[in-house]
Amino acid sequence: MTYESQKIALKYFVISAIFFGLQVILGILLILKYIWPDPLIGILPFNTARAIHTNLLVVWMIFGFMGGTYYVVPEESQTEIYSKKLANLQFWLLLLGGLVAVIGFLLGWTAGRPLLELPVELKWAIVLVALIFIFNVFLTMIKTKKWTAIQGLLLGGIVMLAVMWLFGIPFFKNLTIDYYYWWWVIHLWVEGAWELIAASLMAFILLKITGVDRHIIEKWLYIEVALVLFTGIIGTGHHYYWIGTPGYWLWWGGIFSALEPVPILFMVFDTLNHVRHGKIEVTNRLVLYWAVGCAIYHFIGAGVWGIAHTLPIVNRWTHGTQVTASHGHMAFFGAYAMLIITIIYYALPKLKGVEKLSQRSGLWAFWIMTISMTVMGLAFGAAGIIQSYMQRGLGMDFLTVQGFMKPWFKVVFFGGLGFFIGVLIYIFDILKLAATQTLKVEQTGLKS
Amino acid sequence: MGKKTARNIFIWSTVICTIVFIWLTIDTHSTIPKRTNTDKLTDEVVLGKRVWHKYNCNDCHTILGIGGYYAPDMTKVYSSRGESWLKAFLKNPQTPDPERRKMPNQGLSEDEINKLVAFLKWVDGIDTNEWPPKPVKVAKAPGVPVEEKALASKGKNLYYQNRCDLCHKIGGVGGTAGPDISKVGSKRDKEWLTTQIKNPKANNPNTGMPAFPNLSEDDLQAIVSFLMEQK
Repeated sequence: MTYESQKIALKYFVISAIFFGLQVILGILLILKYIWPDPLIGILPFNTARAIHTNLLVVWMIFGFMGGTYYVVPEESQTEIYSKKLANLQFWLLLLGGLVAVIGFLLGWTAGRPLLELPVELKWAIVLVALIFIFNVFLTMIKTKKWTAIQGLLLGGIVMLAVMWLFGIPFFKNLTIDYYYWWWVIHLWVEGAWELIAASLMAFILLKITGVDRHIIEKWLYIEVALVLFTGIIGTGHHYYWIGTPGYWLWWGGIFSALEPVPILFMVFDTLNHVRHGKIEVTNRLVLYWAVGCAIYHFIGAGVWGIAHTLPIVNRWTHGTQVTASHGHMAFFGAYAMLIITIIYYALPKLKGVEKLSQRSGLWAFWIMTISMTVMGLAFGAAGIIQSYMQRGLGMDFLTVQGFMKPWFKVVFFGGLGFFIGVLIYIFDILKLAATQTLKVEQTGLKS
Repeated sequence: MGKKTARNIFIWSTVICTIVFIWLTIDTHSTIPKRTNTDKLTDEVVLGKRVWHKYNCNDCHTILGIGGYYAPDMTKVYSSRGESWLKAFLKNPQTPDPERRKMPNQGLSEDEINKLVAFLKWVDGIDTNEWPPKPVKVAKAPGVPVEEKALASKGKNLYYQNRCDLCHKIGGVGGTAGPDISKVGSKRDKEWLTTQIKNPKANNPNTGMPAFPNLSEDDLQAIVSFLMEQK
């Protein structure tokens, strides 16, 4: 850590980790509802629990991205953050917004659109938070006018994230149009804006931990995001096969989304290449584990699992089944959860001035989480294949088929339980790291 | 290749893809009126969509294949269940089997139910490029000639889809409003059963069983074939 204001990132990271844990608890409740009759049906029915589960995911990831950005931007711009006050205000607003949203969902205050359940008032509040964030980051960057590719693409990603969000705000009368623009938020976030943010943050970490020349890292970063957007923007079409949009989307969506694994595969080689040609000895091997793991799992969860059911000929049968749940869980974990954990494990010790990080808990968390998620992903996938075959292929009744899928839901439950243990280890590690060092800082402060 | 070239590739490929995407979006919009019958998108349908959102139906049910995977897809529910079934179910969504997944009663008003059903009716007419797909083959059960068992399996699905089990019991599972039909195949013949489903009052003028006039002839024969297996 070189700049005092990078410390703002700390509380973003802590909340990010805690909300991650809450999200997983909701996930476990959800899978239990698939297995046994639901005793909570009157208090926390499936739809409410799902809304909280998915929104917590988005919120903890946004906290992670924002914390990461506040950590990276001062170092890239070589100056303090434009306004610490705004960064703090924005943190509390976002936290408040998140809590109000969860309580609102429990009371039935919802916009009733999957993943975009936030009521319209809260959606505008999020716009306000995003504007403060962008304003603060942008003014920091122009203070010194040291434009690097990393921060330029980071800013681009944040702006794209905010702009796409706007398409999720209006009420659409026509369900087809509704879902057309719904995907502009959902797809163009995860296969556009978020990828830009994630790739920039990862490039920063690779730059720092490997010592590879900035020119080389940034060149490959450009190529990578070029490929991401080239395939990702028109690749939105793979969501336009069956929602009432024209048949030509089967071609546009099919071809471009079939190319979507290319940038991710590229990312894997890129990461491994940088790590191998690293010029400095890596002291924090934990970061390396999570970074390389992230690249590989990103490729499996998003790339392989994505292409497996993205072609119209397959998607016709798997669309709207648990196959999508399998892909969703593995892709989010590989592409974004692991990335944010990488950032936090890189930045937090630096923020705390920890020279030698105890890596035991972090490594346990790594292996438990990745293995459990793989179990969950495969079990969801098996359930989805059964569902595609029996329900779509044989035309059997929905609930009858759910009975055949139940053994796999039980496997998902045990995978989820394992995953929760991994997440708990991670949260305690992060909290310990965040807390113990604060004490030391205060002590040194007293001495001086 | 230098960093500048890489940056230019990034900028230009992004710009071109964005333009193509916007062009496709404009063209898509021009096809929407015909593909989604916007002339039938009345105020009632729009209000029905608001009911759909208000109760967050979409986080359990998929519609157009999007949403929660916890409950059945609603895209073609209007044509597969019919209006009267939907209205009755929405008023009191119940299942006779306690082990089965339940839908909580949303306490919808009569007015909300009508609007919601109008919305589902409009959704049913959307041209979805033939999704959900027609089943490739009908499920088979062992021990009976192939065609007959295929028909009976289809009938079994239809039996549950039309919620016959809400009133009737087979093998101890089902409701109690109607008679236990576990042995109906040895008591009645095909003709009687066909009449009983199509127009129950023709068999017994005092019966409480509702008629199912919306079933196609094929579906009717499938259900009868399934019932004839209950011996």
